[in-house]
Amino acid sequence: MFINWQLRELNLKIVYYGPALSGKTTNLEQIYTRVDPQRRGELISLKTYEDRTLYFDFLQLELGKISGLTPKIHLYTVPGQIYYEASRRLVLRGADGVVFVADSGADRLKYNLESWQNMKTHLAELNMPLATLPLVVQLNKRDLPNAMLTTSLQNLLHLNGTTVFEAIAMQGNGVFDTLKAIINKVVGKVQQELA
Amino acid sequence: MMQGPTNQNQQLRSGLVLYPSQQQAIEKILTELARQISSQFILLADVSGQIISTRGGEQNNIDLIGLGALVVSDLAASHEIARLTRQYQADQMVFREGQSIHTLTCEAGYHLALMVQISTDTPLGWARMIIRKIARDLGDIANTPPPDEDQFLGSSSEFNVQEDGLADLFNDALDDLWLE
Repeated sequence: MFINWQLRELNLKIVYYGPALSGKTTNLEQIYTRVDPQRRGELISLKTYEDRTLYFDFLQLELGKISGLTPKIHLYTVPGQIYYEASRRLVLRGADGVVFVADSGADRLKYNLESWQNMKTHLAELNMPLATLPLVVQLNKRDLPNAMLTTSLQNLLHLNGTTVFEAIAMQGNGVFDTLKAIINKVVGKVQQELA
Repeated sequence: MMQGPTNQNQQLRSGLVLYPSQQQAIEKILTELARQISSQFILLADVSGQIISTRGGEQNNIDLIGLGALVVSDLAASHEIARLTRQYQADQMVFREGQSIHTLTCEAGYHLALMVQISTDTPLGWARMIIRKIARDLGDIANTPPPDEDQFLGSSSEFNVQEDGLADLFNDALDDLWLE
């Protein structure tokens, strides 16, 4: 969180985390497409030749003035592949909130669990305990024929009490709900911290 | 001067509130920096990549939003490389050598990142020394809240953080943003 009183801006950083191919970049692409172009920057993607996220994707949204401040939301994704461990860790630094994008495909369960555990480890190392960090989980690809039951995924990831959204990000379903929910949680946390 | 290794989790973390008097002090320092080393371009951002101020570069029509994110990520990546190779030290500087322009990037305290582009004609050691000093000064400014900070976040402030309907205001603003 960064407040610049001279410019009257409130800046928040939200990171989309999750296993490879779960739809993190797709979330940002959908947001980019569906948001008023006057209110967003360009979508920046550092990709490999295979069109996979190498380092991060980045998109800035600018909301209308709220109580005299202009909120600017910085959205980042992390690369999902296991070997980009260091990139994930550094993108998480300074995050005000995290969206964990899980893949609903039954064959992807192992990768969801690994990524979830990996995120918790990084957050703990960065002194950002999951218990106090605003978090929303998105169960993406609900249209897959082998999609797991949401209750099963919630149980396996131990998501009791965590805000969860179902999504088909490719079609834009659930993308905005997820974004709104994480921003709400982050705003609540900012209120707590500044009060 | 290099400082000894510190807790890396203290580096490049977010959570900054910058008040008008601090911003004015920063502007003054950056103007002085630009004058002292005849810089081509200066960018100061917070660690989330949000631009705080720039000098120069107007003629290049630069995408500052994207550039801010890339600069702080580049610096964070260099930190991570240093951490993994056990070479991390505070006040490290990243130097990118160019044919006509050199780019130097460094942290400025815990909250800020400073990027300076200088002509290859500029004496490098001298520029590095000045930039390092300026970065420390900028960090000190950001880390020292002014005495009048209460008027900005208190209940009498225009932005009342304790306002009950704040989440609703954000929701409304988000709804306005979204094109169905």
